[in-house]
Amino acid sequence: MSSDTAADATYCTHTDYTEGDAATDLPATGEGSDGLAADVWEALHDVDDPEMPVSIVDLGLIYGVDVDESGDVRVDMTLTYTGCPARDMLTETVEERVAAVDGVESVDLRMVWAPDWSIEMVTEDGREQLREFGLSI
Amino acid sequence: MAATADLAFEDLDDDEREAVRTLLFRLADDEYVTAERYTEWQVRAPTLESDLALANIAQDELGHARLWYDLLEDFGSEERELVWERPPEAWHHATLAELPYEEGGWADAVLRSYLYDVAEDLRLAAVEGSTYTRLRDRVETVENEEDYHLEHAQNWLERLVDADAGHDRVQAALDRLFPYALTLFAPADPEVEARIDELGLRDRTLSELRRDWLDRVVPYLESLGLDVPDPGDTDLPSAVGRDGEHTDHWNDLHEEFTRTYRDLDRQGTVRIMPDPDDT
Repeated sequence: MSSDTAADATYCTHTDYTEGDAATDLPATGEGSDGLAADVWEALHDVDDPEMPVSIVDLGLIYGVDVDESGDVRVDMTLTYTGCPARDMLTETVEERVAAVDGVESVDLRMVWAPDWSIEMVTEDGREQLREFGLSI
Repeated sequence: MAATADLAFEDLDDDEREAVRTLLFRLADDEYVTAERYTEWQVRAPTLESDLALANIAQDELGHARLWYDLLEDFGSEERELVWERPPEAWHHATLAELPYEEGGWADAVLRSYLYDVAEDLRLAAVEGSTYTRLRDRVETVENEEDYHLEHAQNWLERLVDADAGHDRVQAALDRLFPYALTLFAPADPEVEARIDELGLRDRTLSELRRDWLDRVVPYLESLGLDVPDPGDTDLPSAVGRDGEHTDHWNDLHEEFTRTYRDLDRQGTVRIMPDPDDT
């Protein structure tokens, strides 16, 4: 049963791991983006971290958004912590919200772990919200 | 090969893929099984702070295992296949990770964590400049979460050896665990190990890592007044783990952590929509 399932697991659609335009300036906030990219950033901005009342964009978890003319969107995202128990919940939410944006055809969400997330990635707005929440930052 | 090379899965032939897989399985399985054992301490450590520390360390190690299993998914498997559906003989962790703790053996837990975390530290340093880009990109994140593990273990070791009873318990744990700790540096298959080195997936060979580990672990443990077995006179246990050969304890542990998965009858893939290639 199970061992056969693992051994026979050959079906896998082609995945392209070539590096695209990784974000160079972090935190990335989508500032200055327009059109569909701006709409995607807005949708991402509406997703809050599951533990703190701050948007995942302001927390600095989104490293980049890449939109092409056919509406295929790639999002590079990290987490504050490798053992984050909300990883699936968060990635599913991001995929759903981005997919729901008018004009988006497909979403390719990639987990990235370089550079390592740190408190430096939190935006000014994010810091403000975290202070209101009671964290000293 | 230059250490600056950027290797991706698509660039590799079958032999090279086997080398990457071997390295990743070892990283992932060591972390996963070590974490499985740590969780046994979650409500049994001697202080509430240690309950929390062990729970947290276990969470870190599971997180790291997940990062490595992610990379193994590039080879065509899914997480459930890599963890809950993989038969026990296809796991490659060192047998140090799978041993049950001696009853009430807090000294065992602390010493094991120390022995493992030093090896982990050296092993991660050896892949910081790995030619396999997706591996290299994850190392710093993992390293940043490892520091306090060693601090925790050393802090406890130093406290335990301070009293005679504690000292004797750590010594007994050391005598028992030392041969198993050496399995961390046992090769899976010497040919594959050579390929790992040639490809530049890591920049220290297993025997160099073993030497580096002994250079750190032996003087430290001796400074605590412990008698460290002579590695030259220490035979590896009959099951080293790397080649899929494990102790009976592993079957029990595997049975236990896969039980819920099997009880839920989750052997098959649930297909919620037709395969696009079939329509």
